[in-house]
Amino acid sequence: MNLRILVFFFIGLFIFIIDTGLNSDESSKDIYISDQELSSLLSAWTSQVGRAPTDEEVVNIINNLVQEEILYREALLLGLDQEDRIIKRRLAQKLTFLKQETMPVDPTEQELLDFYESNKAKYFMPPTYSFKHHYFSKESNAIERANNSLNALIDGDMELTGDPFFLGKNFNQNTAAEIERSFGASFLSAFDQPKLNQWSGPHESAFGEHLLFITDTSDGFFPPWNKIAAKVTQDYVTKTQDDAVNLYLNEIKSQYRVIINPNYQF
Amino acid sequence: MKPSKSFIGLIIVSSAFIFYASGLYTNLQTDSALEIVDFSIIKDAERSQDIPSNPNRSPFYGDLHVHTKYSFDAYIFGVTNTPYDAYRYATGEGITHPLGYEMKLREPLDFYAVTDHGFYMGMVENYADTSSKISQQEWTKPFHNINRADNITLASGPQRANIFSSVLTQAIIQPYPLWHPKVIQAWLTKNLQLALTSFDYNVHKSAWADVANAAEEFNNPGTFTTFIGYEFTTSTAVEGGNLHRNVIFNSSNAPIRPWTRIDSLNPEDLWTWMDSLRDRGVDSLAIPHNSNGSNGQMFEVETFRGNPIDLAYSEQRMRNEPVVEITQVKGTSDTHPLLSPDDEWADFEIMNKRVGSRPPSYSMPQGGYVRDAYLRGLTLDWNKQGNPYKFGLIGSSDTHTGAGSFDENNYWSKVGILDGTAQGRGSVPLTDERIAQLTQYSAAYNQPPSTQELEGRTYADTGFEQWGASGLAVAWAEENTRDSIFKAFKRKETFATTGTRLAVRFFAGYDMDSIALDSEDMVQEAYAKGVTMGADLFASNNQVPQFLVWAQRDKNGAPLQRVQIIKGWVENGSGTPHEKIYDVACSDGLAVDSLTNRCPDNGARVNINDCSISNDVGAVELKTTWTDPDFDPAIKAFYYVRALENPSCRWSTWDAVKAGETPRPDLHQTIQERAWSSPIWYIPEQSKVEINIL
Repeated sequence: MNLRILVFFFIGLFIFIIDTGLNSDESSKDIYISDQELSSLLSAWTSQVGRAPTDEEVVNIINNLVQEEILYREALLLGLDQEDRIIKRRLAQKLTFLKQETMPVDPTEQELLDFYESNKAKYFMPPTYSFKHHYFSKESNAIERANNSLNALIDGDMELTGDPFFLGKNFNQNTAAEIERSFGASFLSAFDQPKLNQWSGPHESAFGEHLLFITDTSDGFFPPWNKIAAKVTQDYVTKTQDDAVNLYLNEIKSQYRVIINPNYQF
Repeated sequence: MKPSKSFIGLIIVSSAFIFYASGLYTNLQTDSALEIVDFSIIKDAERSQDIPSNPNRSPFYGDLHVHTKYSFDAYIFGVTNTPYDAYRYATGEGITHPLGYEMKLREPLDFYAVTDHGFYMGMVENYADTSSKISQQEWTKPFHNINRADNITLASGPQRANIFSSVLTQAIIQPYPLWHPKVIQAWLTKNLQLALTSFDYNVHKSAWADVANAAEEFNNPGTFTTFIGYEFTTSTAVEGGNLHRNVIFNSSNAPIRPWTRIDSLNPEDLWTWMDSLRDRGVDSLAIPHNSNGSNGQMFEVETFRGNPIDLAYSEQRMRNEPVVEITQVKGTSDTHPLLSPDDEWADFEIMNKRVGSRPPSYSMPQGGYVRDAYLRGLTLDWNKQGNPYKFGLIGSSDTHTGAGSFDENNYWSKVGILDGTAQGRGSVPLTDERIAQLTQYSAAYNQPPSTQELEGRTYADTGFEQWGASGLAVAWAEENTRDSIFKAFKRKETFATTGTRLAVRFFAGYDMDSIALDSEDMVQEAYAKGVTMGADLFASNNQVPQFLVWAQRDKNGAPLQRVQIIKGWVENGSGTPHEKIYDVACSDGLAVDSLTNRCPDNGARVNINDCSISNDVGAVELKTTWTDPDFDPAIKAFYYVRALENPSCRWSTWDAVKAGETPRPDLHQTIQERAWSSPIWYIPEQSKVEINIL
């Protein structure tokens, strides 16, 4: 009965001996430096210094290499590479670069156009507004002056008693973001349903009241191909490279299982 | 007599030979710092060219002083943000602080320049990376994995401070032995850093190329401007006089490597290098900063080597340094209460320590503040030495996290882990755990105590309480492009703010009072009839000039309280300097008292319990035409504007309010955010030694 246990014990012992024998560290104490590695080191030296190294210098170069290799291997033996976030990141980066580089970076016109079609929104130029305005500074009863002036404007009286605005009177092709920066967020509502070529207001900004005359709006548009081709190409290359990494990741991700302590207090 | 004759002949021949040979050697040398690289990504011709242009110029807000992980100290402070992250931040995206929280601007900036320390750029990251070649050297051990995610902790702060102040300085000066090929290479290419064992040129060059590449990638003419730049981090050889400068290039062309303190500690050598680059078509400017922490060395009345300043020095300095950074996180350098006892606003964000000194040592104010420098410039000029201090003003942040911290209410200071929390900055009391850490550190590294007791509570005593949420550089330019903004710096048409988006126009001329202040053409007329900030106003038949000032509040900040003109001049007989401050426009319809030259109190107050401010007083804009009541047409003078907001909470008060603590009793609880224009210089007729950089 107990014999079966003994058999398993001996099989286990046998496997253990074979395993330690095969994985013995003794055999890895050789440092093999290939001809190729040597000549690339020496030619690098030569190109840096401008002459071939002397015998003594060759010895130094090789010694440096050997030292580096020994330290590296000893560090591996000590497990210094384990759980080192920098080394992990570095290796992950190397693999990422490798995957990125395997991608062809010379896209055809058609590929670019397809890419552009499916990412069109990114190249959309936002709507712009061209307008002039009369400004009534908060410093002196802005609302009243603005209302009076609006009536005067409607009556065709062009003599206005507004104030000069710090950033000027005429604004050409401003996006909503630019208008917000010049006047404050509250002013944007004046552009909600713009009526062209007529005075409206008063509209409140961070600085006072404004009468607004919108001369032109553009609905936003897609710029012509020749203006954005370079940017699209750049984006396409970046995107394909990222895709290559993601594709690779997705392929092997399924083989991994992530385990996190469900009771961990975040 | 014959032998002696042949002896002389021998000497002549041999010295001629030595001369020839040494000339030959010099020819063997190439100057690696003068090799120019075109870093551009998209050629200008391919860019869409619909850039809006404003002939009356618009104010563009930016920051020309930003560090990322490539700076040796930033990396030690736990910063892993790249130049790309920094530019993303400037365009309005949120990026991450080393302590994990998000840093985001309330309003995007118009321009930004990443200016990592040129000295050892990229090297510390390389020491920390244990797979790099250089990290195998024993002394790099304290750097290993310093920014591994689990090492970026508050507890590591003191250790980081120590690495910054002592380990690094010892490590970097180890040269290779003289026979080493790297030493020969260093000599042949005039690249001294190659001879240092702690240096890897490839790592350095690729860090610099990455900085340049990020700038190129984000430069978007018409919308967002970037500059390729770096910090020249030099100091006097003794007493730690900080002489730091940022170098900004005007195009995509820049040298293959930054010129650094290893090349020379002397700023004059930097200017000579910049002059040589200019001869090769690459224009640049150097911007001094933290003169407040220079122990009076930044605006000395003699040269780096202690010689008298002469015309050539003044010209070279002004050719290369048209603007100075007056305000940043590490304090404001307008003036000091000891220098300007009659200026009630002089005690503003004063940082009185020498930059980087450990233990912190006092920085002498004389020669360290810009108003004093302007006066010294006039005195030197009076003494026929030229005026080396005729510079314009900008602000910037000097952040080391990639993200400038401009908002008192959303402040993370600048050195990452060290001052990324209210406790670390000294604005709220320390927990017992932090007290233990700081005490242990002081004992371990033989430093003076880094905690202090105030009214029975313990605070960090790190000096960070003197730092502030400042500042911005503003350029008056036709369009938001590199070229247009760079030209604004060159002609000094700039102003500085303490982080607020306040705006200031400033003109001077002899016909300014003919311009109606409520005219729509006011600005256009002012440009036509006078000069603006940064320029000279020349005497005209003993006429008295008028000044036109127009300030507009920050739409998201506190309203304006007053606008002042600060005048400085020297007596013609003796060169004795004087300064005087005139309030020229007051909020709420108040009038300047002509006896004291001051506005009456407008009644604006701050509630220290919740930081709310009076919302019914203050101005959205202030404008006026002003004449100097003490004007003397024979005396050379400068005039610059200081515009002040109503008081608001200082960041330290915000920190305390948010933590439910009472603000520290020894700090200013409120500040008045402000802007300074570049001066206008009045030049009387008899002057013969005027420096004009344009």
